Amino acid sequence: MSTAQIRLFTLWRREANRFMKIKKQTIGAPMLETFLYISVFGAALGSRVGELHGIDYVVFVIPGLIMMAWSINAFSNNSSSILQQKFQGAIQDQLSSPASPLELLLAFSFGGFMRGLIVAALTFVASSFLVDLPVEHFLVLIPALFLVGFFFSLLGVLIGVRAEQFDDVAFAQTFVLQPLIFLGGVFYSASLLPEPFQTLTHFNPIYYMINLVRYGFLGYSEASVALSLFALTAATAALFAVNLRLFARGYRLRA
Amino acid sequence: MNHSALHIEDLVKRYATGVEALRGVSLDIAPGELFGLLGPNGAGKSTLIHCTAGLAQPTSGAIRVFGHDAIDDYAEARQAVGLAPQEPNLDWFLTVEETLDYHAGYFGMPKRERRERSKELLETFSLTEKADERTRTLSGGMKRRLILARAMMHRPRLLILDEPTAGVDVELRLELWHYVQRINQEGTTILLTTHYLEEAEQLCDRIAFIADGQIVGLGTSPELADSYGVATLEDAYLALVGRKELSRSHVEVSA
Repeated sequence: MSTAQIRLFTLWRREANRFMKIKKQTIGAPMLETFLYISVFGAALGSRVGELHGIDYVVFVIPGLIMMAWSINAFSNNSSSILQQKFQGAIQDQLSSPASPLELLLAFSFGGFMRGLIVAALTFVASSFLVDLPVEHFLVLIPALFLVGFFFSLLGVLIGVRAEQFDDVAFAQTFVLQPLIFLGGVFYSASLLPEPFQTLTHFNPIYYMINLVRYGFLGYSEASVALSLFALTAATAALFAVNLRLFARGYRLRA
Repeated sequence: MNHSALHIEDLVKRYATGVEALRGVSLDIAPGELFGLLGPNGAGKSTLIHCTAGLAQPTSGAIRVFGHDAIDDYAEARQAVGLAPQEPNLDWFLTVEETLDYHAGYFGMPKRERRERSKELLETFSLTEKADERTRTLSGGMKRRLILARAMMHRPRLLILDEPTAGVDVELRLELWHYVQRINQEGTTILLTTHYLEEAEQLCDRIAFIADGQIVGLGTSPELADSYGVATLEDAYLALVGRKELSRSHVEVSA
């Protein structure tokens, strides 16, 4: 390995080490949460709801839950990790190293990305035992999930860097992210909503992410797949560019 | 061409709050020198160190570490610097050994070399038995030793020690002095800040007085005393801070 590769790998290893040392909280708790959703919305309510657009309700819900697990874990991992390190001052060890802004950004992003990937993959495997979960469009599903994961990893980094107290991170997650995800149609089909809620849902970017992932699994989407994929790629690229610029400037990292 | 270990030219640092912590500091530290930086709290010592290590961004002026510009050529400059900060900024999630291993990884050191180097430093700093303990379980003295070991992991040519003996007991202070002298004799250039004049006198080849963001005196201990027209470094310091009345020469010692 070159020195740059050793640097990047070690920076990422630190992030993975952190969440693996507290895996009851970082892997166990989100897994339990996802299965409580599946139990309540899938098994308990699902028997009443029956089918949505010809798909079993529990099967309809699971793709959204997988996406939600990846996104929330990616986000909360990175925002908390960065803020904690800023609080302890421990981040100075990375910041005073020769690591470039790009290396630092990638490593901090990949931490949450990996945690989200692990929770999402475990949810997928476990769900496959419980229900017959198809994968209709693998070539859409994989880029869609990776882009969603990377988008929320980058968003977590941005919020973590900006945050000055734990309240800032909690606010973003509880008052912005979670409502947008819940109202983006994880648990229902937006086409069944009355107006104006149906139209309002179309202004929620997460609605398109859920549709993409659902299309990858079930072959059903309410929004244009190509347009959603394009918009998600553009949004991720834009967020990456913003973060890279902030890292290069040392925004709230270097005095 | 022979470069200074640290060359600082007209360095100005103005924080976003408007506070001007450094107001045109110029300084040259020769390779192999043990250099002391003395000054009251808030004089700009830590800011100068942070600018050198990449933790703060200079407003204007130049910093070169062994000829490498700290901004344009930051990777090489930071590679040459080892920083033991004033506040123990250890990562709570890491063990003692991981702290050393990760640090060296951030500086691109290959695995085998990291393992050997951390073993050697754990021994030197009497931390071998604590290698697998998390850093937050360490006593204050052990944290100090670990911070110094961490700063030395990547074999920096310029070691910066920001008040390394603040708040430590007599034995550890003397132990640290021995380490510092030994490292220096082995060829490492050292920049030391301290509040203990006796420490600076005992250890340092040359000393700079910094006050209100400016270098106001520079030389060996006797030269500084001479320039203030007093007998000791302490009296020179008291003259600098405008508290001559505190001089021990005024203290009446009764039998």
